[in-house]
Amino acid sequence: MKKYSLLILILFFAIHVQAQDFSKDIADAKTSYSSGKLADAHFSLEQAVQEIDMIVGKEVLKLLPEKMNDQNANSKDDQVSANVGFVGATIHRDYGNSGSQIEIISNSPLIASLNAFLNMPFVGGMTRNSTTKVVKVQGYKSRLEKQGDNENGKPNYQLQIPFKNALVTLTANGMDENSVLSFANTMPLDKIAALIQ
Amino acid sequence: MKRIVFLLCGSFLLSIPQFTNGQLLKKLKEKANSAVNKAVDSKTGGDAPNTSSDESQSSSGTSSNRPVNKGGAGLKNTAPPDVNAAIDDASKSFSGKNYSDARYSVQQALMGIEIQLGHQLLKSLPDNVDGLQKDTTQDKVVSTQWGWNNMTIQRVYSDGKDKQCTITIGNNGLYAGLANAYFGNAYAVESNGKDQNVKQVKVQGNKAIISYDESKGYSLIVPVGQSSMVVWECINFANEDEVMNTANAFNIDNIKKSLGEK
Repeated sequence: MKKYSLLILILFFAIHVQAQDFSKDIADAKTSYSSGKLADAHFSLEQAVQEIDMIVGKEVLKLLPEKMNDQNANSKDDQVSANVGFVGATIHRDYGNSGSQIEIISNSPLIASLNAFLNMPFVGGMTRNSTTKVVKVQGYKSRLEKQGDNENGKPNYQLQIPFKNALVTLTANGMDENSVLSFANTMPLDKIAALIQ
Repeated sequence: MKRIVFLLCGSFLLSIPQFTNGQLLKKLKEKANSAVNKAVDSKTGGDAPNTSSDESQSSSGTSSNRPVNKGGAGLKNTAPPDVNAAIDDASKSFSGKNYSDARYSVQQALMGIEIQLGHQLLKSLPDNVDGLQKDTTQDKVVSTQWGWNNMTIQRVYSDGKDKQCTITIGNNGLYAGLANAYFGNAYAVESNGKDQNVKQVKVQGNKAIISYDESKGYSLIVPVGQSSMVVWECINFANEDEVMNTANAFNIDNIKKSLGEK
C-alpha cells in the first residue's frame, strides 16, 4: 500500500510540474507570436503538444491494471514518451518477468495506415489462420496472435486493438487464450480511448 | 516494440508510393484521354466532344441513373486558424483537464502560425529570377499539423513558354535528415563513367546536391539547419551554371532565419 501511495504521489508531482511547463510554453508562444517571432512561437507550441502527450500518458498509466492475471505490474519501469515526429506518443507498462507488457501508441499519422493494414486480410491483418484470429474485446475488433510458447511450454499471445489514430498492443506471455481475453476485458478501454484520441 | 516500429516504417514507405502512384495514374489517364480525343477529332472532324457529352447525358438518364455534376461554386478559401484564439482555447481546455481538446487547439494554433510563416516567406522571395517571372497563381502553403511534415511552401517562376523553375521550401525532419545523411557518406557520388548525374556543390556556403535527369531537368537540394530544406526544380535550363545563378538569387540566410533554423 505504501508503495502505491508513493507512486501516486510521484505521479501527482510529475503532472503538476508538467502542468507548469505547459503554461510556460503557452505563455512563451503568446509572447513570441505577439512580437512577430513566428518560428519561436511554433517551437513553444510544439513543446506544449509534447507536454500534453506526457500528461495524457501518465493519466493512461493510472488507468492500466496493476496486475496481468498473476503477473504484477513493474510500475517503476513505466514509460511515457512524446515526440512531434511521426512515431507519436508511446505509453509502456510491463508485467512480471516474462516479457508481458502493454504498449500504446497514439497521435501518430502512421497509425491510421497501420490500422488499415490490420484490417487487410491479404497482408495477415484481421484474418484467421493457425496462429491468428479476430476477436472482439469490449466491442473493439482486435487481432489475437499466438506467438509460440515460453520456456515452460505455456503459450505467448499478442493482442492488437486498433483505435482511430492509436494502437493498443498487449503482449501476454505464459498464459492461455481465455486468460488473455479475460484480462483484456478488464482494461478500461473506453476511458483510455477517450484520453488518447 | 521492434515489430511496431517496423510496421510503422513499412506503412510510411508504402504511403509515399500510394500518393505518387495516384498522381502518376491521373497523369496517365489525362494523357490517354487527350490522345484518344485527338484521334477521334481527326476522324470525325471535331464532333467528338459533343458526342461524348451526349453519351454521358444519356447514360446518366438510363443505365446508371446517376446524375452528373455540371458545375458549382466550389469551396471558399477559409481563413487560417486564429492563433491567439486557439491558444486561449488550449489553455481553457487544459485547465479543465480536457486534454484531447487542448491538443487539438494547440495543433490549430500551430497550423495558423505555419500558414502565416509560409505567406511571409513567399513575400520575401524575389519577383523574378534569371529572366523568369513569378507565377503567384501557383503559390502554395501547406501545413499538415504533423511534426514529420509540418510545412511546404512552393513558388513557380516561368518565362511563359517552356522554361520553369519551382522552388519548394519544406520543414521536414525526415527528408532533411536523409539529405544530411548523404553528406555523411562522401563516397555516395553517382557517375556513369562519363557525366555525373549527381554531385555535391555549395550554395551561399551551404552544402547542396545537384542532379540532372533527361526527362525532369535539374534538381538542386539545399538542407537548411536541422530539419528544413530548399529544393529547386529547373526545367529547360541550359546548364548547371544557370541553375546555380538562379539559386543564388534567393537569400538562403533569410529563409533559414524565418524557419528558426541555425
